[in-house]
Amino acid sequence: MFERFTEGARGVVEGAVAHAKRADADEVEPGHLLLALLDARGTKGAFALSALGVRPEAVVSDLEEARRRGGVSAADAEALAGLGIDVGEIVSRVEETHGEGALAQGRPRGRRLWSGSGHRPFTREAKTVLEQSLRVALARKEKSIGDEHLLLAMVARPGVVRDVLAGCGVTFDAVERVLGNGNGGAAKAG
Amino acid sequence: MTDATDLAERAGDRDPRVGLRAVAALRRLLEQLEAVQVRSARHQGWSWQEIAAELGVSRQAVHKKYGRQ
Repeated sequence: MFERFTEGARGVVEGAVAHAKRADADEVEPGHLLLALLDARGTKGAFALSALGVRPEAVVSDLEEARRRGGVSAADAEALAGLGIDVGEIVSRVEETHGEGALAQGRPRGRRLWSGSGHRPFTREAKTVLEQSLRVALARKEKSIGDEHLLLAMVARPGVVRDVLAGCGVTFDAVERVLGNGNGGAAKAG
Repeated sequence: MTDATDLAERAGDRDPRVGLRAVAALRRLLEQLEAVQVRSARHQGWSWQEIAAELGVSRQAVHKKYGRQ
């Protein structure tokens, strides 16, 4: 699969590892892929984001907020509010007792297998984004996988990254609108 | 594709997507809440056995999930 990645897509994957490392995260998450995509210049992915008027700083702060809520996006929090669950209240009480960012810390692990090396495993969700990018490229009848396919993959499946992008007006349809439908007409990979 | 505002507008419509989204989000939040509490218990010197007993799971389960410390 990776041999079909364009230079831009490889750059995003490598950039995601660097973002994870910088954030001292044990694993590479879809959010790290998105942060790396924001760094891209002169690629189709970068074009799509700028054509849709995405402000990178808004994406960064929305991702950070979701992380602080323990992986709950703004749309998730709204859905939970519908059940009478006030996520903001939960977060502030937990932070009161356990410190700021307590819910963003992940699992308490004694052995950090990867912290010493540059190695970071991808979470299942992040791997799914990579796999989905291949399906998206196939559905669009495009031979190589570029960072625009990574972007389409991020908005094709439910999750924090899709919610954050949707909040900035980036949906699957919107991305296809600015990129065109590929070589084979509209077809959303499942 | 549904965006966040659409979802919010449908919140009262018994749209299964909203309910399912809430459940999925709650599950993620629960995992983080558990991690916070387990971390705190370990810092206070609790054994895996004690933590597992409070969580109502086996010692092996909690140990496997949170690793050696």
